[in-house]
Amino acid sequence: MIIDNPTMDAEEEHPEPGQDSEEEEDEEQSELSDGELQEAFARGLLKPGMNVMIDKPKKCANSQEGLKQCLADFRRDLPWVERLDLTNLPAENVLVTPEGKEPKTTKAEINPDNDFEREMFFYRQAQATVLQALPLLNKHSIATKRPDDYFAEMAKSDQQMQKIRTKLIAKQTIIERSEKAKQLREQRKFGKKVQIEVMQKRQKEKKAMMSAVKKYQKGMTDKLDFLEGDKKKAGKDNPDPKKATQKRGPNSKRKFKDQKFGFGGKKSGTKWNTKESFNDVSGFRAKVAHGKGPKGAKRGNKNKRPGKTVRKKMKNRS
Amino acid sequence: MASSKRKRGAQGSAPKKAKKVKFVSNEDETSSEINPETHEVTVPAPVSRGKWTNKERVLIFSSRGVNFRTRHLMQDLRTLMPHSKADTKMDRKDKLFVINEVCEMKNCNKCLFFEAKKKQDLYLWISNSPHGPSAKFLVQNIHTLAELKMTGNCLKGSRPLLSFDPTFDKEPHYALLKELFIQTFSTPRYHPKSQPFVDHVLTFTIVDNRIWFRNYQIIEEDASLVEIGPRFVLNLIKIFQGSFGGPTLFENEHFQSPNMHRRQLRLAAAAKVREKQMVKELQKMKRTEAKEDVTKDVTADVFLTPADEKPVQIETEPPQVKVVKKKHKVFKRQRMQMARR
Repeated sequence: MIIDNPTMDAEEEHPEPGQDSEEEEDEEQSELSDGELQEAFARGLLKPGMNVMIDKPKKCANSQEGLKQCLADFRRDLPWVERLDLTNLPAENVLVTPEGKEPKTTKAEINPDNDFEREMFFYRQAQATVLQALPLLNKHSIATKRPDDYFAEMAKSDQQMQKIRTKLIAKQTIIERSEKAKQLREQRKFGKKVQIEVMQKRQKEKKAMMSAVKKYQKGMTDKLDFLEGDKKKAGKDNPDPKKATQKRGPNSKRKFKDQKFGFGGKKSGTKWNTKESFNDVSGFRAKVAHGKGPKGAKRGNKNKRPGKTVRKKMKNRS
Repeated sequence: MASSKRKRGAQGSAPKKAKKVKFVSNEDETSSEINPETHEVTVPAPVSRGKWTNKERVLIFSSRGVNFRTRHLMQDLRTLMPHSKADTKMDRKDKLFVINEVCEMKNCNKCLFFEAKKKQDLYLWISNSPHGPSAKFLVQNIHTLAELKMTGNCLKGSRPLLSFDPTFDKEPHYALLKELFIQTFSTPRYHPKSQPFVDHVLTFTIVDNRIWFRNYQIIEEDASLVEIGPRFVLNLIKIFQGSFGGPTLFENEHFQSPNMHRRQLRLAAAAKVREKQMVKELQKMKRTEAKEDVTKDVTADVFLTPADEKPVQIETEPPQVKVVKKKHKVFKRQRMQMARR
């Protein structure tokens, strides 16, 4: 129930712009004296139950007639050329918007906290104004384009523009550098991948060749097809169905293990001092033999004692 | 300031406000003249081709206690508006209607007065000086011309295009504000300090019950724009019928004074802390209060399902042993031989 309290009016005259319009103030009931409450009850204004005081909703001055009158008095009907003002909605959104979002043209849809959206709205409004105004300006023969040789004082000094330019250039170089670095990293990764693939392919080929050679050595195949390369891979005609069961050869499991792990090999008796091993000079490294190996592999005595003549010379000198 | 009586069309005599610049200059749309004697060339002041009739002068000044950003904003506005005049800072002790007298002394009919409270909040008064309406705003989000993100530039004193939101025509108070802005911010034609080209546009938009001000440079004829600055946001407080006084015509109910705003933030923070404390106290109480021993398990008979009683069976003989016959697998070698065969 709203009680029009005389003490509250005095507060409203204060220039306090931000007063809560509806407050429940139990503490302020003490301001109303008991006598007043009794009077109000006698008059039938108070109802039984909990009575709380609520402020009158704050009335904001809004005299529409006063505003219109003031505008009528104040208005100066200048020709458009003097004012150069235009009222318009934003121009069409030319930017590609992400999927699902329609270009927001009405103001009610703009979220004022979304900076990009808001600024684009203002930008498009300005654009629409410019597009509308240019033909009008041409009609009134007001120039908008500055000729190239017209030099005059600008709102921002040249120094300021230089600062802006250097900052923009710096930003651009940073972006370019990061882009280049990213590309290099990608290239390196790609190159590494390619290198690994090539090496693996080579290993596979070598393995296949070696196993083919060993097969021939062990007598499993009597054809030297592997020397010709991979020409005859496809189109091997199947043996007769009658002999198929007999000509299966080793088990498929055995075959797979042979292919993967090789054919085993001789366990012992690999190192003998025979004529062949004596004549085999494949383990000879010329550089190491002649002492031209990588320096630092074998460090000689650092503190080498100089020879007799050198020692004599040193002694004679001192 | 005595308006200099310049001879129209006389380019030989150097006008009073000639600027000495080091590069080749050109007058507006007339033949270029270079002084062969001196290396410096005089850039003649823009000669008005017509008569300046719209005598609009704006007084821009502030009270004491404004910070650097406000000062720079004022300077920027003075650069953008060639029809503006500056004045010294006003003492805060004087009442606001003194400003009317200052305006009259300076022969200005509009006024932009910046007032700072608590060195934090900036209020802007825009008023039409002798009798007209005035409005008070709270200024927020100020960015000046000097910010490096504002990359555009315009001629000093060129005339701006003004762009308004359609919302300005819908409400009477916005219509009044629109008229006030037009008269204040548009540079009069043929003003002696103005430049004849129109190369920037000022936009006023109403978003979120506030007026957003932006300044863009027109680069191309196809309306590609770059922001010059400054930019600020005006939050309307009140509109008065007189200049710096008079009956209130309009009050903005969405306006919340910065003090109240800060107070609300503080209250919210305080409420959060208080709530946390209460929760902590409750937990403490719970922990220290006497706990009763639970002797009976309330959930003991949750899973009891009534079922039929089965007769107890006693087996007298042991269960029979199941014989599992193992499949005899042939040895591996034999298997291989068999497979080969």
